Amino acid sequence: MSTGPTPPTKPQVKALNCPGCGAALTVRSFGNAVTIVCDSCHSILDAKDPNLQILQRFKVATDEVRPLIPLGTRGKIRGTDYAVIGFQRRTIHVDGLPYSWHEYVLFNPYKGFRYLTEYNGHWNDVSILKALPEVHSYGITPTVRYLGETYRHFQTAQAGTSFVLGEFPWQVRVGESAVVADYVSPPRVLSSEQTGNEVTWSMGEYIAGNDIWKTFRLPGSPPDAVGVYENQPSPMGAQTKAIWVAFAGFLLLLVVMMIGFDIIATNKQVFTGSYRYDSNQRGEASFVTDEFDLPGHTSNVEVKTTTDVNNRWIYLNYALINEDTGKAWDFGREVSYYHGYDSDGSWTEGGQNDSVAVPSVPAGRYYLRVEPEGDPGYGVTYYTVTVKRDVPQYSLYGLALLALLIPAVLLTWRTLSFEHLRWAESDHPPIKWGNDE
Amino acid sequence: MIRSLYLLYGAVVMAVLSVAQYQGWSLARMNEVKNVPRSIRDNPGAYRSIYSSYHHYTGGK
Amino acid sequence: MSQPSGTCPNCGATVVFRWSSSVQTVCEYCKSILVRTDVDLQKVGQVADLPPDSSPVQIGTEGVYNHKAFVVIGRIIYDYEQGSWNEWHIVFNDGTDGWLSDAQDEYAVSFAAPGRKVPDAAQCEVGQDCAWDNQRYTVTTITSAHYRGVQGELPFQYWDKENVTFVDLRTQTGKFATIDYSDEKPALYLGEMVEFDSLGLKNLRAFEGWS
Repeated sequence: MSTGPTPPTKPQVKALNCPGCGAALTVRSFGNAVTIVCDSCHSILDAKDPNLQILQRFKVATDEVRPLIPLGTRGKIRGTDYAVIGFQRRTIHVDGLPYSWHEYVLFNPYKGFRYLTEYNGHWNDVSILKALPEVHSYGITPTVRYLGETYRHFQTAQAGTSFVLGEFPWQVRVGESAVVADYVSPPRVLSSEQTGNEVTWSMGEYIAGNDIWKTFRLPGSPPDAVGVYENQPSPMGAQTKAIWVAFAGFLLLLVVMMIGFDIIATNKQVFTGSYRYDSNQRGEASFVTDEFDLPGHTSNVEVKTTTDVNNRWIYLNYALINEDTGKAWDFGREVSYYHGYDSDGSWTEGGQNDSVAVPSVPAGRYYLRVEPEGDPGYGVTYYTVTVKRDVPQYSLYGLALLALLIPAVLLTWRTLSFEHLRWAESDHPPIKWGNDE
Repeated sequence: MIRSLYLLYGAVVMAVLSVAQYQGWSLARMNEVKNVPRSIRDNPGAYRSIYSSYHHYTGGK
Repeated sequence: MSQPSGTCPNCGATVVFRWSSSVQTVCEYCKSILVRTDVDLQKVGQVADLPPDSSPVQIGTEGVYNHKAFVVIGRIIYDYEQGSWNEWHIVFNDGTDGWLSDAQDEYAVSFAAPGRKVPDAAQCEVGQDCAWDNQRYTVTTITSAHYRGVQGELPFQYWDKENVTFVDLRTQTGKFATIDYSDEKPALYLGEMVEFDSLGLKNLRAFEGWS
């Protein structure tokens, strides 16, 4: 006994011919009305024509939601041709507000079914899983592990079908609903769908609207993606880690450089002289030091002033003059030191010593011109001037560190903002940074 | 892409830093003066520093 | 079913409707506007169309599973509330037989596994675990179905038209099990999910418009 599968019933087809002249007809739709006009004799088909009524009722039934990819369109995904055979709109309610997304069923007789989902311009390429993922329910956020990847719970909601067209692997009806739980690991998402009698797992991969338009050769451009979607890949995400790794590398290099320059710096004392300044004394206070050699390649010169000021200040006008070229570096240094005792305890301000680095001084024969100044009445200050050639400048390393740090911090900030936006839509929203309304 | 840009940027920063360290760049504010005559060695008072007439009191609490 | 084709009443050419419930198309040859009159318009937008009988497998299809060659010799079609699926009866070179499940192009190969403890139908719930042969299986589906039709050679002769419970189970490693409660003694089948490509199927059914 052999009863084969029932073959599909052949569709009943009627033709629309012009009742007047039997010629070709044109279909026009304005709003909800469908009219048929004869191109030759311009007679309009009677609105009560039963065939026209079919088109009319069909339009009313399908006008509510228009699939972005028309049913029947074909496209190549992962090297296989698929036809779009079904479409549904599903709706969830969050805080009383409805949110809907669209699902498309794709079919290939040999490869089976795939799905595309679309929400606010965000698309996903979905297929059913053959093996079950591992569910870990513990912790604040439940996670699921599949093929070595961990997916974090994003949202669980009751999803109901609110509109359906075409074919589905099972007979979907409006009103049918399932509990849908999404777990994300951008750009992928694992979804479980549970009805009373069945649980199905599927995996989706985020896909750009432009790729969908290219695959199905659709006219125009895809709708703009609004907001950040649950498994939308972070544009900077993977890069951010890489940048910090690069930063660590640069930091290491910086330390090595610092040690290196420390070692090769000459740090040679080329001159030192001790002087006495009496602020009460009249006459020319300026003087010049003996000449000294600044050897080696162009580098800095440290001029260090050590004094014995005590609750007073001394100001030194310095000029480092190249005896041969006549070029000079002119700078002034104030050295002040104050201390006392008040209700908060003892305090100090300033210091008795000062040092400054004169930049990029070529080698040659130099001397210092010194002109001290002080408040008249203060009396005598003893001070020593020491000149060192080629000293390490640590402040520059600090600047370089900052320069290297800033892009990494900015990038991390952008990535964190993106993730903040992503998770704001989930069942586990992050604590708000700004003000609530 | 971003990573390559950052690596390039970092390399430039390090290169500039190396030059700065070698050439002895410094953040100190300097005034460069040209053609200081040799006579200053005998007459230091004749040199007019732009920093002279400094009477700015910046001490105490 | 997915792209129903009919005949143009004016010129007799074959016409294809873009999708299962599309009511309008144009004849490529005579350019007549054609309307389908057998679409249930009450259902459009409300109920999906019945899934197509789209199995590429047919009696005589050959394939390989676990390095052993097999041929398809029989078929059972089951109907359930929301659609249907196929159980293809396959026979291997060495004489053993098994089943190739084909549900909307999701495939599994399983073999009768007698002599193992099987829970009662009433005890099964989605999410519940069972263990056989050192593997943990979790119930994923409970279906109430009945035979719609048979083809070819099958290991049993009698069946009735009443609804029977089937329980499907899966593992984290892609294994598959099904319990058939049609007889007094529930029958257990153990196997695994397989990719269509891994079976290397030959002599498949040809589909118009698909290569």
